[in-house]
Amino acid sequence: MKRPFITIALLAAITLSACSKYLDVNQNPNVPSDVSESLLLAPLEAGVSQYIAAGNAATLVNQWMQNCVPNQPMPNTANYMVTSSNFDDFWNSFYVVVLNNVTILDKQATANGNLKYAGIAKVLKAYTLGTATDLWGDIPNATAFSGTGNTTPSYDKQEDIYKSIQSLLDEAITQLQSDAGSTPGTDDYYYAGDMNKWTKMAYTLKARYYMHLTKAPGYDAKTQANLALTALSNGMSSNDDDCSFAYNGSSTSSNAWYLHFYNTSTLVLSSHYVDSLVKYADPRLPSLVSRAENTGKYNGNVIGSGAGALQDFSIAGNFYGAIGSKVYILNAAEALFLKAEANYITSGYSAAQPIFRQAVAGNILKLGVDTNSAAAQTFLSKRGTLTANNALQLIIEEKATANFLSVENYTDWRRTGYPALKMIPNNTVTSLPRRFLYPLNEISANPQDLQKAKLTDKVWWDS
Amino acid sequence: MKRNVFHLLALLAGLLIYSSAIAQTRGIDGTVTDEKKQPISFASVIIKGTSKGTTTAQDGSFKLEVSPNAILIIRAVGYNLQEIPVNGEQHFNITLTENASDLNEVVVTALGVKKEKRNLTFSAQEVKSDEILRAKEPNVLNSLTGKVAGVQITSSSGMPGSSARIVIRGITSISGENQALFVMDGVPINNDESGGTYNGGSGTNRLADIDPSTIESINVLKGAAATALYGSAGARGVVLVTTKKGAAGRKPVVTLSSGLSFERTIFPDRQYLYAQGDKGVFYDGETMKSSTSWGPRMDTLTVNGQKIKAHNPLEEFFRTGVTSNSTVSVSGGGATSNYFMSYSYFDQKGTIPVTSYKRHSLFTKYNTQIIDKLNATFQLTYSTANNKKVPEGYGLESPLWTIFTAPVSYDLKPALNPDGSQRLYRYSRNNPYWVLDNVLNTTVVNRFLPVFTFVYTPFEWLSVTERAGADIYTDQQTYHVNTNDITYATGLTYYNNKNFRQFNHDFIVQARQQFNNTNVSLLLGNNVYSEHGDFMTALGLGLAKPGYYNMASASSITYTGTEYLRRKTGFYAQAEVDYNRMLVLSLTGRYDGSSVLSSENRYYPYGSVAGGFIFSELFKDKLKDVINFGKVRASFASVGNDNVKTYATTTPYYQAVIYGDVSSNLTFPYNGQNGFLISSSLGNPNLKNELQKEYELGLEMKMFKNRIGLEASYFNRRMTQGIVENISLANSTGYASTTINSAKMSTKGVEVLLNLTPVTTKDFNWDVTINYTKLKQKVEEISPDLDQTSIGSIYAKKGEPWGLIFGTKYARTADGQLRINEAGLPYASGEFDVVGNITPDWIGGITNQFRYKQFNLSFFFDTKRGGDILNSDDGYGLYYGSSKQTEKREDRVVSGVSDATNAPNKQVVTGQAYFQQISGITEAFIQNASYIKLRNVSLSYTFRKGAGGRTPFKDASIVLTGRNLWIHKDKTFTGGDPEVNSWGAGNGGLGVYTFSAPTARSFDCTLKFTF
Repeated sequence: MKRPFITIALLAAITLSACSKYLDVNQNPNVPSDVSESLLLAPLEAGVSQYIAAGNAATLVNQWMQNCVPNQPMPNTANYMVTSSNFDDFWNSFYVVVLNNVTILDKQATANGNLKYAGIAKVLKAYTLGTATDLWGDIPNATAFSGTGNTTPSYDKQEDIYKSIQSLLDEAITQLQSDAGSTPGTDDYYYAGDMNKWTKMAYTLKARYYMHLTKAPGYDAKTQANLALTALSNGMSSNDDDCSFAYNGSSTSSNAWYLHFYNTSTLVLSSHYVDSLVKYADPRLPSLVSRAENTGKYNGNVIGSGAGALQDFSIAGNFYGAIGSKVYILNAAEALFLKAEANYITSGYSAAQPIFRQAVAGNILKLGVDTNSAAAQTFLSKRGTLTANNALQLIIEEKATANFLSVENYTDWRRTGYPALKMIPNNTVTSLPRRFLYPLNEISANPQDLQKAKLTDKVWWDS
Repeated sequence: MKRNVFHLLALLAGLLIYSSAIAQTRGIDGTVTDEKKQPISFASVIIKGTSKGTTTAQDGSFKLEVSPNAILIIRAVGYNLQEIPVNGEQHFNITLTENASDLNEVVVTALGVKKEKRNLTFSAQEVKSDEILRAKEPNVLNSLTGKVAGVQITSSSGMPGSSARIVIRGITSISGENQALFVMDGVPINNDESGGTYNGGSGTNRLADIDPSTIESINVLKGAAATALYGSAGARGVVLVTTKKGAAGRKPVVTLSSGLSFERTIFPDRQYLYAQGDKGVFYDGETMKSSTSWGPRMDTLTVNGQKIKAHNPLEEFFRTGVTSNSTVSVSGGGATSNYFMSYSYFDQKGTIPVTSYKRHSLFTKYNTQIIDKLNATFQLTYSTANNKKVPEGYGLESPLWTIFTAPVSYDLKPALNPDGSQRLYRYSRNNPYWVLDNVLNTTVVNRFLPVFTFVYTPFEWLSVTERAGADIYTDQQTYHVNTNDITYATGLTYYNNKNFRQFNHDFIVQARQQFNNTNVSLLLGNNVYSEHGDFMTALGLGLAKPGYYNMASASSITYTGTEYLRRKTGFYAQAEVDYNRMLVLSLTGRYDGSSVLSSENRYYPYGSVAGGFIFSELFKDKLKDVINFGKVRASFASVGNDNVKTYATTTPYYQAVIYGDVSSNLTFPYNGQNGFLISSSLGNPNLKNELQKEYELGLEMKMFKNRIGLEASYFNRRMTQGIVENISLANSTGYASTTINSAKMSTKGVEVLLNLTPVTTKDFNWDVTINYTKLKQKVEEISPDLDQTSIGSIYAKKGEPWGLIFGTKYARTADGQLRINEAGLPYASGEFDVVGNITPDWIGGITNQFRYKQFNLSFFFDTKRGGDILNSDDGYGLYYGSSKQTEKREDRVVSGVSDATNAPNKQVVTGQAYFQQISGITEAFIQNASYIKLRNVSLSYTFRKGAGGRTPFKDASIVLTGRNLWIHKDKTFTGGDPEVNSWGAGNGGLGVYTFSAPTARSFDCTLKFTF
């Protein structure tokens, strides 16, 4: 009786193990299960350009900053008609596409000893987290990016996010200067592996995020300004340090703003923006604003008037809005304007003046205008001179022009009140929005009390 | 363990035989034949009062040792029982008479095991060949529509080759495959939908490759108990197809049949009264273009003093469809072998010009007795089909979107201006006639289904079956769009090749024994299954020159290729005990392994227990005259299910695409640099099987000598550990979705099948068959954190039946009145919520058959009550002013509460403003998809055998069939036919009616001869 049992048991064991091998075929042959750091970096840089710096979040911010408006009947997003579901797509780009992958890149590069890649990842993460927290306030970070390990990540206070940003940038600065591991090359669209430029960018970002807290509860403007100035001593100094993403100008590589203005969102420039440039006779006007196709004039759509003929309005000019234009992730000019503002805070407007002048002139040069020309000189004498009454206003307003289309302008407006904005008539809010709504995706899948925040609530540093 | 059982059985048999052989015995022999002198094999010849006996061989002969005064009981399936006393005789020629009642009818059940219908312990329904053919449907699946209780079949559209969807007892998975498993002659066959048009429209479900005329019968096994032997795929219900076979010892019989049918489109409703224009002003479509038909009335409109010609865009576009179907088959056999061969050619020209479906099918089956105890069957199905379609739906390449909404004041022809550009009454659309000449989707399918079956019967009570089958097909799709297209100005060419290979192997050992009046059978088996598919697509943008669609010459070519492999193994067993032809008990067990689950959860067991009690066996004669057959049955089954896509356990990296606006994306490799990002869909490394638990109660009765037949079943099914793909995750986890194992669903239902024969005389017969199905389904849970999820455009929500349609709703006051804005119009509330559900309340069908001498008339109604559909044709039509509802376009006051005054609304608005406003609110075009269809009317005449002297043929018949002759739809539905799934038969696209090829009324005439 024993032998048959043993034989059968043996047969069963052999069959079952053969079965196991036969069934062990569930590895996806179509896609890799891991990739090198350089294969992760390239799409991340493209993503930061297309989604963070110049994505749909940026178009909404620019509408609220009244730089542009959709050529559609009112009400629409330009007069604040938004609900939670409008923000799902932004949040997805920030968290699923950029932040999750940049966290993976950072971990993998650190583990593999490719510290330069780790440093770059940290800079990109700090930049993206910073942009996200400035728009949404408290956001998940410490408990996020764990997949099903934590399906309801907790929301960190904005103050803690800012602390994380600064420590990320500090670690990045060390890692960027290390010799260990490989150096990026063609996979680094921004700086082609120039680690000095990355370091300058990291310092400039430190300064930016120090300056954001000038009005934050428990923080003092002068202390922040000094911290910023220390960081800026190692920061970006000339237009060559600009962090930008280049496009080829073809149908498969078109500038993101070119598409926003030209395609289905039918964005056009607003009269509020165009008219202010015309009023000050800004010599950069021809590069910043295109002439309307039908009239040849610089003509912005009056926000609140609804739709007109598309070709009657101006769109972004050939510097920022041509099919082959670059998207600017971080402008070196911002470093100079931060320095000017910091100096104004610590030492008054006369200390700020030369730096401010240099900043404006530098931007005029970048946009292809000869600073020695009559137009430039007239403009500089009018708009490049600070007085006791208008110092902060001028600094921030010119910074907004140099940082045209950047999300940073919305932070500066909330912090300083400049450039001044009047609320567009609407049915949604009683004062101008100070933040984004939390997305429907998070409200459904990760409900938290703080997600009840309204458009007009202020984020922590905005007091 | 196996060997021990056999030893035991053999021992027992031996003892019994020995004990009864004590008496003096003599050898007898004989043959058993039917009334036509055909031998009856496997008839049982038993000595009454004992269990000693034998079964007849292939030629009907038998040999037995009996005592001289014994009485023989001869029993064969389908024949009346006979008792013959031996009386000292030695040779017997026994003739059995056919049993008119089908009490002993044999049906094919799981794994090809034949069972008497009376012994079934679960719900199953058979549809025979003549009913399948009478339906005259090109796709076999559609021939079952409305006929089988518990089964819902929905055809996708009227496009030639369009798919159909079959769901048995409602859905079984939230996001996985819900369609039934198809098994042909014991081997599973693939029924995937493939070849969907690149720019919109359903594909073809692969069952369409099977020629209906090769089918002998279809048996639908519905519940878990029926399918527990089939493994996981069987949890969705099994449709068993048995093909025809030859007959031994016969001269070849040749059957020829040829049919021709004409189809006329059933048009959706629309308005034909008002011309193109806006706000009552006429637009001629040449100098003034618009998409809308808000112009003046056609009957009073004059342009330059002349009336303008009224067009009917639908009549002018659609043509009469023509279908021809010819079949030739030969069947016959010798003493030890038989064969069946069939070839048929089906040619359908669709009602939309240019569209067509042509299919050649070849089927051969050869069965032979290789040696005494070894029987083999070889069969091969080869089918090739060529299907030409145009895009459907609301895409710019769909001609139907424009045809259905075109203004009646505009002549759509010619399609081109003198300068060669497209001519149309509006911007941003292709001229539909231009599309017919310049856009086409062609799929060519070649399919092979070989099956080898060997049955070895070393002893009468033991048989060993070895069956291997494959399903191999290639689906080559080419799609092109010429230059000058609205979206693809430089043209487009697209290839999509699918290669599919599926292998299935079963090894089964069956043992049967009879003890006194108890039959015991045991079945043990092993299954190995492997499925591999690979897809290659190439998209070429920018043709080298107009009309030249060669891929290699395109300006930019992108290629993608994916493949998948999944495998399963299973060990199964079934034990059945049948006592005194009165009590049946059946037990099954199966142990499955599947490659798509995580490695720790790869294997899972499940089984079933079922019983039946034929209480009519206890009846005395008087009661038997009333109820001649009555049975109750109960079963409980659990089935494990691996219903999830391959590779769901891992999280790989995908080549990155960074999206820009509309069509300009950064596709990696970008600027010579490759790039990958991690999948936004997180894999589940702990994936385990779903579990279905179902209990079923059934009652079967035949009364008044089969004049009334009733079969009713109630089932209650619960699904736990449900696998749901694409479950949303909070994006802050870093991922957008994952696959979970936590869903729970419950389904309860009642199925009733009623057969009545109100009148039966020698010359005249009237049969009625009624079926009715009512299901109640509920999603009990999705996951602890999530109450709803979407599957394509369909939603599942906790506490509701699966199949929700989401959309925007009217803003209403607390008491349900419409809110009216300051323009006097209703508007959408901000939420996106449930607006309908596609699930019907109940479905049913009724067939009436009249036979008078040689004439046979049957008509078949089927109905679906309840179930919503999103009529996107109206969604657009309301805006354009082409929808039937817009016929009433006078000024109006919309009743509701004005937001401005909080009092009843008094503001007058134009019809145009009203309809254009509500065209953006989903609730305004959710309609009821109930219908009653006269699906089939068939009149046939069979020529009397041998009448009129010597005729070359044995049998001849002529059949006239009308299909879809009458549709009663709900008054809210404005389309032509509510039976539609515009995006195809998959889960995600159901319940949408959007500019699909309309179905047609058809008239068919078929001649059939048998030689």
